Amino acid sequence: MERIEATRDRALPWPAARRARRSWTRTRRLVFVGFVAPAVVVLVLVTVLPLLYLVVTSFTPLDLTNPASKRWAGLTNYRQLAADGRFWNSVWVQTQLSFWTVSLQMIIGFAIALLLNGHLRFLELVRAAFIVPMVLPPVVVALIWKILFTPDISILDWALGLLGLPQPAWLADPKLALWAVIVADVWEWFPFVMLMLLAALQMLPSDPLEAARLDGASPWQVFRYITVPLLKPTLVVAMLFRLIDSVKAFPHIFIMTGGGPGTTTEVTNFYAYLQGFSYTYVGYSSAIIVVMLLATFVMSLGVLRVAGREHDVE
Amino acid sequence: MNSRAWTASGTVLLMLVVLGPVLFIVQMSVRSGLEAFRMPPTLVFSPTLQNYIDLLEGKFVRSLMNSTVTATSTTVLALLLGVPAAYAFSRARVRAQGLVSLWTLTTRMAPPIAFGIPFFLLYKDLGLIDTRIGLVVIYLTFNLSLVIWMMRAFFDGVPRSLEEAAYIDGAGISAAFLRIVLPLSAPGLATTAIFTFLFAWNDFFYSLLLTRSEAVTAPVAIVNFMNYESWEWGKVAAAATMIMLPVVALSVVVRKYLVRGLTAGAVKG
Repeated sequence: MERIEATRDRALPWPAARRARRSWTRTRRLVFVGFVAPAVVVLVLVTVLPLLYLVVTSFTPLDLTNPASKRWAGLTNYRQLAADGRFWNSVWVQTQLSFWTVSLQMIIGFAIALLLNGHLRFLELVRAAFIVPMVLPPVVVALIWKILFTPDISILDWALGLLGLPQPAWLADPKLALWAVIVADVWEWFPFVMLMLLAALQMLPSDPLEAARLDGASPWQVFRYITVPLLKPTLVVAMLFRLIDSVKAFPHIFIMTGGGPGTTTEVTNFYAYLQGFSYTYVGYSSAIIVVMLLATFVMSLGVLRVAGREHDVE
Repeated sequence: MNSRAWTASGTVLLMLVVLGPVLFIVQMSVRSGLEAFRMPPTLVFSPTLQNYIDLLEGKFVRSLMNSTVTATSTTVLALLLGVPAAYAFSRARVRAQGLVSLWTLTTRMAPPIAFGIPFFLLYKDLGLIDTRIGLVVIYLTFNLSLVIWMMRAFFDGVPRSLEEAAYIDGAGISAAFLRIVLPLSAPGLATTAIFTFLFAWNDFFYSLLLTRSEAVTAPVAIVNFMNYESWEWGKVAAAATMIMLPVVALSVVVRKYLVRGLTAGAVKG
């Protein structure tokens, strides 16, 4: 298409034609600017400006109960943050949550994708079932698991009792509460990893796999040296997406544990919410979020870098 | 058992793990009062719609309306603003495409509280706390760039020769877009609309932060409701069932594009 246009340009040496073409180009550009402008203006108003405002707020000691507290305080919030034990605890909780949810989702998702690959008749039905957890409103996911983890009213508890196993009060036990949240998150999102990998598995070229098999490679060798390397871009993208999303954990924690018992499930995002809206220290809360955003942004760049190199990852 | 039978039984077990918790809450919603938690669970029971009737007679209806109105308005507004922009980005070989996908990704990945704080402060001054308009505007933060990104991918799939034919017949750019390209992209438009609706409908955080009583959406209403009437789990289950039904139904329609929508911005169309 591009080539035809280029040829036509050279084939019209007459000044009138050239003028007509130039005015057409100008009109076209004008119309397109008109198309783009409203969206860009709104996007700047609702995203760029608020983020700048957030950064500015993070340099003030703004307290919601005291409107006069809006003055420049330099790096005070950030210095306080560096010395805040509760903040560092939240980073540690977040690290554990991210590590376990992402690892489990990757392992389970990958294993099941391999298991289901090839049985095409099943697949359509299975896919339809697997999308359910990930599209449910997060509140519903949190409620379902809150009920399942509440003693006396849970069918899970009853089943454990039937098997003669202990029936712990999951959400009230400092050692188990984070695991309850991890279970809910893994249940909600392992289908995402599975669906991404299933799509990638179906697009794998069959030639290298067959060539390897003809050369006498064992199934393990084919998997290890051909399937995994070919799937690597998809694996990385899926992992980074889960990693970035894991940092946003909120409804599950808000509804299931409220950050407790103690601060054992208090992730950074939730801690920022408490500082800002329970204790009203919005300035300090902003500083926490700015630090989180920087971390998220670095991770997003990673996604773009990896995904940009491999176009057809889906 | 042969390997085929293993796979089959494995799949059934897996679907039970995936759908079991959802079915558990749905069956709970049609049981009455304490019946919902009798252990061991009775398989045979007489279902009742009492929980739903109670909900529909109470304040929950208003929250459902708020959810419906805000999610629908967000969808319409995001499409009106985003679709023309997506078309221009698709046709005008602009180098800003990388920027758009970076921005899509950033806005979708930022923790909601990053926008929550500035919008909260702004809305307090503007009197927009606890209004539907306030919610619609903040939902644009993550939905507008999503619309631009997704629609651009769909427009890229429409051959340019169709517009060129229209130009030769004397149509202007807007006419070619509205009369030729847009109708051909109808499935993409529907998909994008469903995604936008889904993300706005599922929101919990912004509604928690920016509404009080008048504009409370259904997901937040359930939580409030739990605090007041903590024994009526049957009603909580009924409310949860009501808010998950529409999104599950819509998602089945767009399941082909689901992963693409969730990774929006990361991959070039």
